[in-house]
Amino acid sequence: MATLKIKDLHVEVEGKEILKGVTTNISEGETVALLGPNGHGKSTLLNVIMGHPRYKITSGSIYLDDLDITEMTTDERAKAGLFLALQNPAEVPGVINSDFLRAAVNATRDEKISTYKFYKMLDNATKELKMPFDLATRSLNEGFSGGEKKRNEILQLLLLEPKIAMLDEIDSGLDVDAIQIVADVIKKEEEKGRGFLVISHYARLFDLIKPTRAIVMINGRIVLDGDTSLIKRIDQTGYEFIKTELGIEIEKEQADMNTVSIGTCAVKETIK
Amino acid sequence: MKKIDVVTDLQYDCLDSSDSLSFEVTQNKQVSVYLKNIEEVEKINFEVKDNSTLFLSIFAQKIVKNINFTANVGENARIIVYFADFSVERNHLNASINLNKDNAECEWHLASLSSQKDDKQIAVSIYHNSPNTHGRIDNYGVCKDNSTLVFSGISHIEKGCHQSTSHQNAKIVVFDDGCKAIAKPILKIDENDIEASHAAVVGKVSDEHIFYLTSRGLSIDEAKLLITLGYLKPILKGFNEETASEIDSLIEGRL
Repeated sequence: MATLKIKDLHVEVEGKEILKGVTTNISEGETVALLGPNGHGKSTLLNVIMGHPRYKITSGSIYLDDLDITEMTTDERAKAGLFLALQNPAEVPGVINSDFLRAAVNATRDEKISTYKFYKMLDNATKELKMPFDLATRSLNEGFSGGEKKRNEILQLLLLEPKIAMLDEIDSGLDVDAIQIVADVIKKEEEKGRGFLVISHYARLFDLIKPTRAIVMINGRIVLDGDTSLIKRIDQTGYEFIKTELGIEIEKEQADMNTVSIGTCAVKETIK
Repeated sequence: MKKIDVVTDLQYDCLDSSDSLSFEVTQNKQVSVYLKNIEEVEKINFEVKDNSTLFLSIFAQKIVKNINFTANVGENARIIVYFADFSVERNHLNASINLNKDNAECEWHLASLSSQKDDKQIAVSIYHNSPNTHGRIDNYGVCKDNSTLVFSGISHIEKGCHQSTSHQNAKIVVFDDGCKAIAKPILKIDENDIEASHAAVVGKVSDEHIFYLTSRGLSIDEAKLLITLGYLKPILKGFNEETASEIDSLIEGRL
């Protein structure tokens, strides 16, 4: 059973420290809810674990079992069994979804998959997600609705069969029915023993996928690690109790409005 | 000048032909023309008469010196061009499409690969000379080594050509420091009641795209290749299977 071990992780972006000593473990068979206010480092943690080049690890380590992945390239981490479903999956014009999926499946396997087997797999996975098969033959995420992009992320998860999957707000942009479909798929994958680390702001998703543990990230650190009653408590009362009970001052999110100018896409600016 | 009447689907080899060619598609026809060895000519003209549709595919793989391409499109007529530019050393192409009558339409797709010391200057212009005419230009390029790749052209909507639409797209992905890539799609609009847009993108392969693809197990080189092919491969759909696979293997070989 594989375990992802994060030890005293410090991370900077453009000289600013975002993660200030994160320590936690996630094992296969566990579903961990990652909670916390906006701008406190949740997405950063997931991106750093996946090896996003924008983030600089200044100290600490990430291990998958005995394998030190701290310095590994992103594709090596994927091959080791990590997966990240992105909050805003990029649109890549001209790259056909199924070509990409097949290249990805082949990259993460020792032996190349046959065309027949691949299409069988793809067909099953799209059916499971109730996706129209033609999405697979279109340009990667180009012109996909928000919900289609998110399903496409889960489709990739199904095909790549990672040990630990990280989901960054997979429920945003999904309607009620789509959340149910995605949650059902996640639930099935949990039963197969896959590990999950899941960010969401809504208790609804967690009600459906039934996490086994919850951790709370404040000011770039994990301040609480406990059972799933935390999810309910935060959903009902917010993060205020952290201040009153733990004496931790919650830093306000710094809105860096000046970098967004008229004429640029605000969404794209903020996710950079 | 040599004149050719197009009455049915045609494959035309410009080798050992005249320096100057003029094709005419008569009224009420729907035909496709595939031009080979376009490098051998200097002037090519297409007359697409009323109510006709011309699917034109062009594949260049040698030195293109100076080509002047013109087309005149009539009422309810369409010209759809797929130009696969895998010429070497040099390609100076000047294309002008005139939409002369009501509901004339032009769709122009070009994919260009420039590498080594290639010098490629591609200008594609659409002139809207009548109301309710529709133009679209999509130029996609990949620029490598010490090559030069320039996409320019004008979408010109004359005064009085109301209800016309014109869109231009020029995108170049740049690989090396020695590359010179310019995209300058120009709009000249003399009428208010129209719809027009232009977009220009010149840059390296996006880091976000690379991260996305590598996070699924592809190496950086595989990811770059896949993204770059995404600029060039869509042109294949304008060609028959045989030519498409020829172009396809050429792309894979050169990248």
